[in-house]
Amino acid sequence: MLKYIARRILQMVPVFFGVTILLFILRAPGVLPGDPIRMITGEKAISPALYQELVKENGLDKPLPVQYVTYLGKLVHGDLGRSYQKDRPVVEIFADKYPNTIRLALAAIVIEIIVGIAAGIISAVKQYSFLDVVVTLSTSVLVSVPVFWLGMMFQVLLGIKLKEWTGGAFYLPMSGMGSPPDLAHLVLPAVTLASVSTAYAARITRSQLLEVMGQDYIRTAVAKGLSDRAVIFKHALKNAMIPVVTFIGLDLGAMMSGAILTETIFNWPGVGLEIYFSIQQRDWPIVMGGVIIVVFAVMLINLIVDISYAFLDPRIRYGGPAK
Amino acid sequence: METLLAVENLKTYFFTRDGVVKAVDGVSFSLERGQTLGVVGESGSGKSVTAMSIMRLIKGPQGRVVEGSIHFKGQDVLAMDDEAVRDLRGNRIAMIFQDPMTSLNPVFRVGDQIAESLRVHKGLSKAEAFERAVELLKLVGIPKAEARARDYPHQFSGGMRQRAMIAMALACDPDILIADEPTTALDVTIQAQILELMIELQERTGSAIIMITHDLGVVADMADNVLVMYAGKPVEFGTADEVFYSPLHPYTWGLLDSLPRHDVSEKGELVPIVGQPPSLIDVPPGCAFHPRCPYAREICRTQVPQFRAIEGDHGSACHFSTDPSFRRGTASRTEVTA
Repeated sequence: MLKYIARRILQMVPVFFGVTILLFILRAPGVLPGDPIRMITGEKAISPALYQELVKENGLDKPLPVQYVTYLGKLVHGDLGRSYQKDRPVVEIFADKYPNTIRLALAAIVIEIIVGIAAGIISAVKQYSFLDVVVTLSTSVLVSVPVFWLGMMFQVLLGIKLKEWTGGAFYLPMSGMGSPPDLAHLVLPAVTLASVSTAYAARITRSQLLEVMGQDYIRTAVAKGLSDRAVIFKHALKNAMIPVVTFIGLDLGAMMSGAILTETIFNWPGVGLEIYFSIQQRDWPIVMGGVIIVVFAVMLINLIVDISYAFLDPRIRYGGPAK
Repeated sequence: METLLAVENLKTYFFTRDGVVKAVDGVSFSLERGQTLGVVGESGSGKSVTAMSIMRLIKGPQGRVVEGSIHFKGQDVLAMDDEAVRDLRGNRIAMIFQDPMTSLNPVFRVGDQIAESLRVHKGLSKAEAFERAVELLKLVGIPKAEARARDYPHQFSGGMRQRAMIAMALACDPDILIADEPTTALDVTIQAQILELMIELQERTGSAIIMITHDLGVVADMADNVLVMYAGKPVEFGTADEVFYSPLHPYTWGLLDSLPRHDVSEKGELVPIVGQPPSLIDVPPGCAFHPRCPYAREICRTQVPQFRAIEGDHGSACHFSTDPSFRRGTASRTEVTA
């Protein structure tokens, strides 16, 4: 087990170097349009002397590999540089934003786990029943609905119309949102963000459970005289959950990089929105720092998923042949 | 002798989109304490479905027992409520399945899977049940049983898994052990070991065994009585000696002719039964075996033969088995029609 974890951690090393080197290549002069010094000075015209000084100050005069090593050196000490435009340390910016992303992601994942898996189980256990049809149909609709449309519908229906109808029981979630946003602001963005994944989680749970229920070892469990409940929730579910956990884990990883659409619609102050704006503005320190933080977060989540996967499936834990 | 199990005119049908599959179509037999019944037939002859019907494992709504009765110690199995059925399964009647590679749950320890029946049926604590599971693994000949009980199925070989399945089946001291082709998925040397183990354990525990197989050799080794099935119907029933040495039904003759023998020195060739088993949706009219039967006559094409006892309980479902000259080796052949 320890060997398995160690191997997974070692696999992170090349990913880290790959990502940072790629970012540096993208940043190299001439690869992408935009001059960093222009970003710092804005529209103001500056003298060539000041321009050179700023280049030097930001270390942009050195060869790229040197810049890279310097960057890594600072990174080790927790310094991701300063934003060109905001004139704040990148670390500070993300320390502000990341908790919002995590909050939103966790809320969405909780919905996904509870609603998605429960719907999938009901749907599979009561196959071809009315409930199954409801789940199957609604998940088909949900996976095809664009997230931004769904978010806007939520805002219109629950935020504006319902307020008119109920006389103010609900309010538009994005208005008056402070940082950090409170729980009431979290509901609609979380539901929006969770919608598609919840539908997928339900569908995967349903199909996996149905497949597992047809396996020989389920027949063995029934023939042993176990109750339906024990057969489904103990014998079938633990097997069926393996792909579901993988999916939800990958999804959580994706959410850790910020949900750009959801964050934009709800004006949610998360990392997705931050990185998105920074890319538009060529604010490279934020883009680089943001991507590196996100990559670390995603790798960490994947590690946790891999470990839980091994916990669910002994064939992985003991490195035996997967049959 | 105490009759443990009485199956009477059992009919289990599957109602599919393509039509009604008459998987079991009028099977009757009884089983006494300590006895071994061999159920023989080709794939799709209804052997497994018979076993599944006894265990109430037929999946609705497509599959249903449409007629007949199953009595276990006088209790009507088909009328039992869910709780009574659960008490029967694994406790009074236990089953060993064909494929040990897929019949154990891959995500639970072998010992825990054996212990599970004991916890459900005997109310043992987790520790007690596990201890007993270790004993059972020892009983079925698993070396280092204490350590092995903590292993997962993928760490077991095929033969060991089938031993574990047997341990699981024996856990609650069942009255009847149904073994559905327990050796088919194993290689020959392991097959012999598993059969020996079953015989030895039967002597020790006194449970009755229903041995479902397409391997006549297995039946010859173990069975007291033999039921030969074809296309969901019983075609011959008798003691093992009767069925092997004076078989009545041409299908049984065919099965015996296709069996390699080591006691015949002459270079006899194996004679296969021509053709394929019929589709159970569209069973041939008359005797279901007639298209493959070298002795078929006109009556076989039109009339369904009734099962008739000829000598004691030994009987067959062939129009001609009442004729003493119609016997293996002496009956005159007709043209095979299919």
